[in-house]
Amino acid sequence: MSLTIENVHKRFGPVVALNGVSFSVEPGRIFGLLGANGAGKTTCMRIVLDILRPDEGTVTWQGARNTSLPRDTWGYLPEERGLYMRMKVIDVLRFFAALYGVPGDAATRIVEEWLERFRVPDYRDRRVEELSKGNQQKIQFIAAILHDPDVLIMDEPFSGLDPVNVQLLKEAFLEMRDRGKTLIFSTHQMETVEELCEGIAIIDRGTVVVSGSVRDVKRAMGRQVVRLATDGDGRGMEWLTALDGVKVTADRADFVELSVPAGTDPELILRTAMQRGERVTRFEIGDPSLEEIFIEHVGWRADEEERHLAEAPAGAGVAGDGAPGNEGPA
Amino acid sequence: MTNLFPNAWHVARREYLQRVRTRTFLIVTGVLALVGLAIALLPIGIRLIAGDEGTQVGIIQHAAVDGDAAAVLQSVLAANAGEGGTTYEVRSVDDEDEGRSLVREGELDGLVTMTRASDDELSFTFFTDAGPTSQTLFAIRSATTQISIGDRLERAGVDPSQARDIFAPTPFDIEAVDPEATDPEELYGPKYIVAMALVILTFMAVITYGTWVATSVAEEKSSRVMELLITAATPRQLLAGKVIGNGAAGLTQYLAVAGAAGIGLLLQGVIAERVFGEAGSIDLQGIDLSVLVPFGLLFIPGFLLYCTLYAGFGSMASRQEDVTQVTGPMLFIGMGGYFASFIAINTPDETWVMVLSLIPFFSPYLLPARYVLTGNVAPWEWLAAGILMLVFLLLALWLAARIYSAGVLLYGQRSSLRSVWRAVRVDR
Repeated sequence: MSLTIENVHKRFGPVVALNGVSFSVEPGRIFGLLGANGAGKTTCMRIVLDILRPDEGTVTWQGARNTSLPRDTWGYLPEERGLYMRMKVIDVLRFFAALYGVPGDAATRIVEEWLERFRVPDYRDRRVEELSKGNQQKIQFIAAILHDPDVLIMDEPFSGLDPVNVQLLKEAFLEMRDRGKTLIFSTHQMETVEELCEGIAIIDRGTVVVSGSVRDVKRAMGRQVVRLATDGDGRGMEWLTALDGVKVTADRADFVELSVPAGTDPELILRTAMQRGERVTRFEIGDPSLEEIFIEHVGWRADEEERHLAEAPAGAGVAGDGAPGNEGPA
Repeated sequence: MTNLFPNAWHVARREYLQRVRTRTFLIVTGVLALVGLAIALLPIGIRLIAGDEGTQVGIIQHAAVDGDAAAVLQSVLAANAGEGGTTYEVRSVDDEDEGRSLVREGELDGLVTMTRASDDELSFTFFTDAGPTSQTLFAIRSATTQISIGDRLERAGVDPSQARDIFAPTPFDIEAVDPEATDPEELYGPKYIVAMALVILTFMAVITYGTWVATSVAEEKSSRVMELLITAATPRQLLAGKVIGNGAAGLTQYLAVAGAAGIGLLLQGVIAERVFGEAGSIDLQGIDLSVLVPFGLLFIPGFLLYCTLYAGFGSMASRQEDVTQVTGPMLFIGMGGYFASFIAINTPDETWVMVLSLIPFFSPYLLPARYVLTGNVAPWEWLAAGILMLVFLLLALWLAARIYSAGVLLYGQRSSLRSVWRAVRVDR
């Protein structure tokens, strides 16, 4: 039984934060929640965690309403990190463990294991304020998972981490997934989503514009991507645009990327090239990247926050009726 | 709906330890305890500085009177000063120069020289640095006048026993123009001081420790621990834990100071005995200390009432700087009660005072204060105050929990009473 968010509405005064959000997350999967800043991801997470109540709509996990579930069902890594700065790492973590009902000895053991995994065992007795931001974030992550929750909800877990720590965190994600945990996280980094997530939902201004398994989302785009390189100068491929519906989406130094609409066989490009006597050195058919899907649905890149904020109308978050394809639960 | 405990305990324990372990707490508590001790021992200090031997007067006798001049002067001074007045010790000095140097050194407060003039009249010289309005000067002047008159009567052949009758005190009564307008401090004496102490100490405790609670809530909001906390525990658990933890830390400080002062009061007698070689008569002047029991019974829930509301209001602050602003209403109630008490204490039997002393925000100090002052508090009044207190406390818990659940996730909004009200109405 999945985690199902159904028709959730939430407004804060005049601002509509969520306008009928629906999607579902398969248990035991890693799920990505994508959207620009202010799209409603954090509000959505808070509602799932039952620290905010929706004006309308329901959240269920394994058939039970989230309002009736025990708090230790969830682990939460908020976007705004915060710990008790003046306490020792071990004391902070044992405190949160105690709130979740984890006995002190067990908590100490779990904390020590995780500190070891994150290669910072000597931080155990340090005060939180002595740690760097990145390391505080690791402590915060441990705080979110030390009661071994079934569902782990993380708001921008990778932001502010260096590549080594990003890798450590990804490994931790995969290990938890393998133990049957459900992980949901929001991010701007599309590569990370491509790498980890089996399911996604893209939220734009309070509405889910697309959701489902990554493969289905990509297939639903109805088009494919072809990367083509030919021997020779590689320029002067005007013939490509003569093909019906084919568009050059990127013209790189050593290849071009083409968008092929649904109904057009990508092989047509290869055949045409051969007929023209081009020497093809690379021909690759693939699905569009999440980056492209995001841009197509939302209108700008996920990390272009400033542009989004600049363009957002006053009372941002109010989604128009014309928002494309709210596909609902998969 | 989850249980309040054990999570409230976990929160309370963390709050308490974090608060009590800080250097500020230790220093402030230590200093306040010393101040408490010092105030308790103040009477001994005053006695020590002033000297308890009373006023020392020397006398040089150049003229013969009936009996030893020093003894006569001492008995007249003592009779004039009356019970509880200044004590005088008069001793004979033989040499004028020796006596004067004793005065200069401060060993004596003054030197009386008694001579008899050629016309047999007694005359006195008082060598002193006392000012013209000094009590000692008046006392010596009237005493010597009495001695002189006694001497004249004796020379006139009046029988000494008749002379005693002549000096017998005259019946003398004082009648005030307006008996109501008596100075309360004089009317109630030390009771007045106890009542004031109850008011001031309670006021200080609720405001100081209430602000602690509010600050600690705001701190968690500004450091953003709050978001993690409210996923781990319910708002009610957090609220209860904060109030209990900070309240207990406040009470720890309060009791440390009160304890130091109490020890000082208890030891006063012993110390006085050591220092002055006599049992210091520490007079609590008939103060019925049993008032501390109902005071405690009202103070604890009253204290919790303030702390709970402070926590609720504190949750509306985004930063610690905003705490003062958002907790304004609490300070208003506290100050209102405080100033009303100053008037109330002077007129403890007025109806409005009786009504006010039953209202939970004020009853913890006004009702015991009334009891101390007049002893005129009916059992039903204690009961009513207690019941009202519990009702208000439950209401406050409900209200604060609602403000808290809404407030902890509100950032950056100018918190007004209206936004508090909105927070209360909206279900999270």
